[in-house]
Amino acid sequence: MAYSLSLGLLYLGLLCGNGLVSARSELFTPDPSRGPHFTGCRSREQETFRCWWSAGIFQNLTEPGALRVFYQTKNFLSEWQECPDYTRTVKNECYFNKTFTQIWTSYCIQLRSVRENITYDEACFTVENIVHPDPPIGLNWTLLNVSRSGLHFDVLVRWAPPPSADVQMGWMSLVYQVQYRVRNNSHWEMLDLESGTQQSIYGLHTDKEYEVRVRCKMSAFDNFGEFSDSIIVHVAQIPSKESTFPTTLVLIFGVIGVVILLVLLIFSQQQRLMVIFLPPIPAPKIKGIDPELLKNGKLDQLNSLLSSQDMYKPDFYHEDPWVEFIQLDLDDPAEKNESSDTQHLLGVSRSGSSHVLNFKSDDDSGRASCYDPEIPNPEDLASLLPGHSGRGDNHPLVSRSSSSIPDLGVQQTSEVEETPIQTQPAVPSWVNMDFYAQVSDFTPAGGVVLSPGQLNSCPEKKKEEENEKKIQFQLVSDGAYTSENTARQLSASVPPSPGPEQGYQTFPTQAVEGNLWNGEYLVSTSDSQTPYLLPEAPPAPILPPVSDYTVVQEVDAQHSLLLNPPSSQPAICPHSPNKHLPAMPTMPMGYLTPDLLGNLTP
Amino acid sequence: FGLSLPAVAVLLVALLCLDPHCRVGSAPICAHGPSGCHIPSLADLFDRVIQHSARMHSLSNDLHSEFEQYFLPSKNHIGKIYRKCHTSNILTPNGKDNAQKLAREELTEVILKLLMAWRDPLFQLHQSMAHQQDFNSFSSNKALEMGDMAHELRKGVEKVAEKMRVLGMLGNSVTGLSAAEAMLPLSDSGEAMSDYELLYCFRRDSNKVQNYLKILKCRIVPEHDC
Repeated sequence: MAYSLSLGLLYLGLLCGNGLVSARSELFTPDPSRGPHFTGCRSREQETFRCWWSAGIFQNLTEPGALRVFYQTKNFLSEWQECPDYTRTVKNECYFNKTFTQIWTSYCIQLRSVRENITYDEACFTVENIVHPDPPIGLNWTLLNVSRSGLHFDVLVRWAPPPSADVQMGWMSLVYQVQYRVRNNSHWEMLDLESGTQQSIYGLHTDKEYEVRVRCKMSAFDNFGEFSDSIIVHVAQIPSKESTFPTTLVLIFGVIGVVILLVLLIFSQQQRLMVIFLPPIPAPKIKGIDPELLKNGKLDQLNSLLSSQDMYKPDFYHEDPWVEFIQLDLDDPAEKNESSDTQHLLGVSRSGSSHVLNFKSDDDSGRASCYDPEIPNPEDLASLLPGHSGRGDNHPLVSRSSSSIPDLGVQQTSEVEETPIQTQPAVPSWVNMDFYAQVSDFTPAGGVVLSPGQLNSCPEKKKEEENEKKIQFQLVSDGAYTSENTARQLSASVPPSPGPEQGYQTFPTQAVEGNLWNGEYLVSTSDSQTPYLLPEAPPAPILPPVSDYTVVQEVDAQHSLLLNPPSSQPAICPHSPNKHLPAMPTMPMGYLTPDLLGNLTP
Repeated sequence: FGLSLPAVAVLLVALLCLDPHCRVGSAPICAHGPSGCHIPSLADLFDRVIQHSARMHSLSNDLHSEFEQYFLPSKNHIGKIYRKCHTSNILTPNGKDNAQKLAREELTEVILKLLMAWRDPLFQLHQSMAHQQDFNSFSSNKALEMGDMAHELRKGVEKVAEKMRVLGMLGNSVTGLSAAEAMLPLSDSGEAMSDYELLYCFRRDSNKVQNYLKILKCRIVPEHDC
C-alpha cells in the first residue's frame, strides 16, 4: 500500500515536473497496469475542454462516483472545485463549458477517491496547449491537367475548416496538412502545411487509386487534430501510344542524320581539318639559305654560303679550332708558352738570334701543302702556319693566339681579306678571314704562295725589346705582293723615338685593322735596301694603322713598293711621321693583284 | 570647414528629429504629400498589426520549444506547478466572450499594457541568452528579433489607437499609453525569473495580444464574417 502510494506519488511528481500537461496521445490510452489516472484532456475549439480518466487496475472504483475530479485554476482562486459537469453519455469524462473555461490560465485537476481521500492523479495544463482542432470538412478534388503522355495528372484538393473553430474572427488560426497515398499502401505522403483551404497535388499516376485526407492544427501550436475522412482520387488512363511513337522515331532519325552530316563534313574537309588540328611544324630556317642546300650541298658551296652571311663574325675565327691548331703545331715547346702574338711574330722571346727572315729557308713544309691542288682543309692551312712557326723562333709571324685576336679590330677587313686568298682558288675564303697571310713564295705562274700571318696590336710591341734585330728584307722581286705594312716600313725611315722596345717594332706595331701582313717582314736579300731598313731596335712603334689594302703607287728601283699612305684611319698606335714618304698621288684604294703588280714592275 | 555653428546645430537637430519617425513601421512615409501616397485604411492597419503579432507569437513558440527540447526544466520545478508571470497583475480577459464583452478602449489599453510590460524583460532575455554558451547564436538572434518585434508592435498598436481616436471610434478614456509602466519580471519569491519562465510567460502573452487584436479588429472593422 505504502509502496504503491509512493510509486504513485513519484509518478505524480514526474508528471508535474513538466509544469503542464500537453495532452499527448500516450496519455489518451488508458494504461491498465496503473491505478486510476487521467487519460487526457482536450479542447476542440479553445472555448471548452474535456478530461477523461480511467480506473485502471482498481476495478472496485469503476462505479460512477467513486472517483471524482477536482480542478483548480491558478488565478487568484486557490480552492479546489469539483468537475462542473460529468458527462452522462460518456463514461469517465468531465466537461468544462465556456463558463468554466479560461484561456491562458493554468488548470490543475486531480483524480480523487473521496471515500478514501486519496488523490490518485494530478495534471496541470493551460487550455491553449491542449487544443486539438476538429478535422476539416468538405474534402473534394478537381482534376487540373493530365500530362501529354497520359501517364500523370495533377489534382486540386479543397476542404473547409471545421465548423467548431471560429476562424472568421481569427480566434483560431488554423494550418492544414494534406496526406495522400496509393490505395492500400502503408506509407502516406505528406505535403507541407497550408494555411489556405486548398492544395494541389502533382505527379499522380493514372490508373492508380489514391487516398487523400487532411487534418489541421493551430498555427504556432503543436497539436494536430484528427484526420478527415479519406477521399479517393482516380483518373483513368487514356491510351495515347501513338503520340510517343513518332517522337522517338523522329529523335532517332535526327540523331542519325546529324551523325551522317558530321562524317561527311569531316571527310570532305579532311585536309583543312588536319591543318587546323595538327598544324605543320615549321622547319628550321636560316635567313637567305636554302634548306635543301644545307642538307645536300657541297662543302665549298656551304662555305661560300655561310661566309656570305652576317652571322659569320670575325670572332668566329677566334674560336675556330684550327686557329688553335696553329699554336699546337709548334714544335718547340718553348714556343707554346703564353707569349703574345707579337713575340711569336718577332720571335723575340725565343732566342737572341737575329731575326733573319728567310722565307725561303723554311718553306718546305708549308708550301708543300699550299701547292696541293686539292682544297686545303683547315688543318692543312693550319699546317701552313705552324710550318712557319716551326721555322724557328725567328719567324716573326708565328701564329697568333686566339687571345690576341680580339684585340685586333679586323672586323671591317674580314670581307676584304678574302681576296688575297683568291689567288689560290682552292683555299676556302673563310680561312683568310681576319688573317694576313705572309707571302712566302711565288709560283712560277705568278701566283702568290701565302703563309698565314699574324695580327698584332700596338701594346704588344713592347715585348720585343730585348733583342736588337737585324732586319733583313728581302724583297721578292718578281711581282710579289707586299703588305702595306712592309711598305710603310719601307717608306718610313726611322722610327721616331728609340723606345725601349728593341728589334722589331714598326711592323708589328702597325694597327691591326687592315693589317694584312702584320708584323710581316719581307726578307730582303739585298742589303741595298738600307734606307728602308731599320738598323736597330727602334723605340715604341707608333705607326699609324694601315688599311687593308693600299694602292701601290710605284715601284722604286730597289723593287720596293711605294704605297699610298692611308687617308684617314683611327690610329691605334701613335702615328709616326712619315717623312720619307714621297708624296704620292692619292689613288683609289684598291686591291692590288699580282697581275697588277706585274704591271707596276719597272 | 565652411560650416558655421548654427548650420551644424540645425543639421544635428534635423537628424535627431528624423530618426524616430522612421522607426514606425505601419504607415509609409508620404514624401509627395497626401496625393502621392496611399494612406492605409484602418482595416489595412489592423491586418498589418495582426500579421506582426502572429509572427511574434510564432517566434516565441519556436524559442520555447527549443528551450523545452534542450533544457528540460530541472527537478526543482516540481513544486512550482503554477508559474506566475510578472504580467499576471494585469487584468486580461480570459476567454473569447470576455474579450468581446470588453470595451474597445479597455481592450486597446490591455494590449498596450501587455506590450509595454514586456519591453525590458525581452531585452533582459536577449542579454542573458546571448551570454550563455548553451544557446547557439540562432536562438539568441531570435530573442533579439522578438524584442524588436514587440517594440514595433507596440508602436503599431499606438498608431492604430491614434487612428481610431481620430476616427472617433475610441473615447478619450484611453490613458494607458503613458501610464503603462515597465515592470520588473519578478516571480513570487522576488527573484528574477529564469529564461525558461520568461519564455513561457511571453509565449502566453503574445498569444493573448494576437487574439485580442483579432477581436478588436472584428469589432472595429465590421466584416461580414465577424
